[in-house]
Amino acid sequence: MFADGLFLGFAVLAVLGAVGLVVFRHPMNGAMSFVVTLISLAGLYALLSAKLIFALQLIVYAGAIMSLIVFIIMFLNIQPSDLPQEETKLFYILGGSVVVLPIGLFMAKIVKSLPKSSTEIVGNNFGGVKEVGLLLFRDWLVPFEIVSILLLVSLIGAVILAGKRGTTK
Amino acid sequence: MMHNYLYLAIILFCLGIVGVISRRNVFTVFMSIELMLNAANLAFIAFARVHENMDGHVLAMMVMAVAAAEAALALAVVILLHKHKSKLDTNVFSLLKG
Repeated sequence: MFADGLFLGFAVLAVLGAVGLVVFRHPMNGAMSFVVTLISLAGLYALLSAKLIFALQLIVYAGAIMSLIVFIIMFLNIQPSDLPQEETKLFYILGGSVVVLPIGLFMAKIVKSLPKSSTEIVGNNFGGVKEVGLLLFRDWLVPFEIVSILLLVSLIGAVILAGKRGTTK
Repeated sequence: MMHNYLYLAIILFCLGIVGVISRRNVFTVFMSIELMLNAANLAFIAFARVHENMDGHVLAMMVMAVAAAEAALALAVVILLHKHKSKLDTNVFSLLKG
């Protein structure tokens, strides 16, 4: 019962934050409301007894990635005149919703056909650091190493793209 | 109930699509893509809880790593484009249009 109330609160907060991200004009307001969405998603992960992912969502997503985005938004020092003029924004959002609504309803129909199952908090260290880590280093070792190479490549790419513009031009 | 989590994931994913196709601000488009990745994560973790199998958690961690790599590269590109055009409008960035 208590978990149902928590789910409702987190779900409403997540949807409100996402709507704010789509609607707000300045990207900083959008980023702040997106942080609300990310934190409530972390709460939902905790309700699904994914302890490690709960911590990672808070540390990596809401902490590192969003602070990087907010840092870049402040670094560019965006004035209201730099923002694109979107007078027909609400019209476009309504049109986009009309286009996306059938897709959403189709997916909801698929979900409806799935068998019902409860999502109460489970014990025996489900989703703990040790269990997920053992799984990661036993069954998922090759994808893990590939992800590390991906991160290295993106690091080099970011340095080449954003670094030393003044000298090459 | 698992269904409620999946419905929420669908709602968030659709909001992300609406953000990508209807907004012209680069940062909003980028964060909408992140929103779609998060909706997929929520579905992964809901299914992992239903089957009491932690493969979904590992996949969610992979998605987070991909999102971090994407954030680093996309923000570098945004800085570069802002230096060239000093605009944040996706309609301005049409160099490949031919």
